Amino acid sequence: MIPENDIPRLLSGCRTKYDKVRGNWVLLAPERAIKLDDIGAAILAETDGVRSLGGILDVLAEKYNAPRDQISGDVVKFLESLRDRRMLEVS
Amino acid sequence: MAWTAPKIEEVTCGMEINMY
Repeated sequence: MIPENDIPRLLSGCRTKYDKVRGNWVLLAPERAIKLDDIGAAILAETDGVRSLGGILDVLAEKYNAPRDQISGDVVKFLESLRDRRMLEVS
Repeated sequence: MAWTAPKIEEVTCGMEINMY
């Protein structure tokens, strides 16, 4: 569970990179890599360390013309999975 | 593009990780 006022940010040493060979985004951490799909990359593109979870949901709901309630659970689950991997913090 | 639940795939092969 992540409150909507909380701000997610990638931890120091974690960054995204576009893999031109395979045509997909990856999230890199020291000696670790996670392949992202387009939706995951879109979420992280809005995760700038300034915008709150609520702000991220607003942007994505408009961008994808999708009900905010529908995407909220997916985004939170995604961010929590990165937090569990110690690649992201929420404050 | 339509919204779908994001999927992630952890890269477990050390050689593949080093490529990045």
